[in-house]
Amino acid sequence: MNALILTGSPKGRKSASFTLASKLAEGLRENGASVNDELVHPGLRTEDGTRRMLDAVDAADLVVFAFPLYVDSLPAPLTRLLELVAERRSGVASPGAPRLAAIVQCGFPESHQCDTAVGICRLFAERTGMRWAGALAMGMGGSIGGDIGRLPGGGKNILDALNMAAESLAKGDAIPAEATTLFARPLMPRWMYTMFGNLGWRMQMRKNKARRPLT
Amino acid sequence: MRALVLDGSREGDSFTPVAVLGMTSALAGRVDDVLLFKLRELAIAPCTGCFGCWTRTPGECVVEDSARDILRSYVGSEIVVYATPVTFGGYSSQLKKMLDRFIPVLDPRFTTVGGEVHHLLRYRRYPKTIGLGTLPSPDPEAERLFAGLVARNGLNIHQNVESIVLVGVADAESARRSAENLLDRAGVTS
Repeated sequence: MNALILTGSPKGRKSASFTLASKLAEGLRENGASVNDELVHPGLRTEDGTRRMLDAVDAADLVVFAFPLYVDSLPAPLTRLLELVAERRSGVASPGAPRLAAIVQCGFPESHQCDTAVGICRLFAERTGMRWAGALAMGMGGSIGGDIGRLPGGGKNILDALNMAAESLAKGDAIPAEATTLFARPLMPRWMYTMFGNLGWRMQMRKNKARRPLT
Repeated sequence: MRALVLDGSREGDSFTPVAVLGMTSALAGRVDDVLLFKLRELAIAPCTGCFGCWTRTPGECVVEDSARDILRSYVGSEIVVYATPVTFGGYSSQLKKMLDRFIPVLDPRFTTVGGEVHHLLRYRRYPKTIGLGTLPSPDPEAERLFAGLVARNGLNIHQNVESIVLVGVADAESARRSAENLLDRAGVTS
C-alpha cells in the first residue's frame, strides 16, 4: 500500500501539522505501508514540484492531507492543489480511486471549528472519485510544538488516535470513529488554554517591542 | 459609503465574472464607491504563518505586496464581497490567498463569541461581509458548506453575514437581480 502525506502548513517540517503527520506515517510504516511525504507550499512554487506532487497523488493508494485551519478552511496553497488534482483527474478516463483522509488542527480550543474544512476535504474526495477515509480534527493546536510527548498527559489521546488511524488506514479501512473522538478531546480546560495563549501573545509582542498597533 | 469586491474567479471561469458584474452593478446604485480587485491578476504571496502581523508589526503583514493595499481598503470600506466559484464547498484558491492574509485585522488575544473562542477585534468597525458564490449546476452539499463557511468567517469578526450561491447564472441581468436581493437581505441601502 502506497501512502502519500501532503503537509499543507507554510511552516513545513517545523509545523504542528508535520509533527502529527509524521506520527501517522510512522504508524503506517509499522503496519506495512510504504509512505512518501510532500510539503505543499514549497512544492507548488515550481513546475517540477507541482508535477511531482500530482504524479505522487496518481500513484498513491492513500492520500492524507495534514494542515492547520486557516480562516475556517484549508490554507490557500492546499486549496490550489485540490483544484489542480481535480483538473488532472477530470481529464483522465479512469483515474483510479485512492482513499483520502485528513488531519486538521486549529488554534482555537474547540475541535468542531475544523468541521467545515473536513467537509471540504470530504466533498473534494466525493467529487473527484476518491474514497473518503475520514479525518482526525483537533483544537488547541497551538500547544503541539514539535513533540507530542511533551503535551499534558504525554499526549496519550493524540498518540493513541494516530496509532488507531494508522492501523485502520494501512488495512484499507477508514479512520475509526473512536480515533476521531479521542483525537478531538481537549488537551486542557478551555480557560487554561486561552489564558496561556493570551499570555504568550503578550510576551511575544513585548519581546518584539511591538505593543502598539501600527494601523 | 464604499464597497470592496474581491473577485476570486479562476482562469476559464465563466460564472463568477458574471456574478461580479451583477454585484458591482447592484452596488453602484447603493454606495458611493465600488472598489474591485481581480485577485488572479495580483501577486499575493501565501500567508507564511509567521504571526508577524500580530507580534512584530501589529495590524500589518510583514510581507509587502498587493495584500497590504487590499487590507487598507478593507478597513476603510463599509461592505466587502467575497466572490468565488464554490470550490468543493469552499473558496477558490485565488480568493483564499487573500483571505489567509486577513488576520492582521484581528487582535491575537482570545475572547468568546457565540459560545466559541475567537480573536478580539482590532478595530471598532468592520465592513459588512457578503459571500457571493457561483456553481455551474446545483450542488446542495457544496452550497450548504459554502453558507457555513461564510457564516464562520463572520464569527471571526463577530458579525452575522449573508451569502448566496448563483447556480448556472450566465447573464448579468439575472446576476444583478440576485445581487439586489442579497443586498436587501444584508440591509445595504443607498
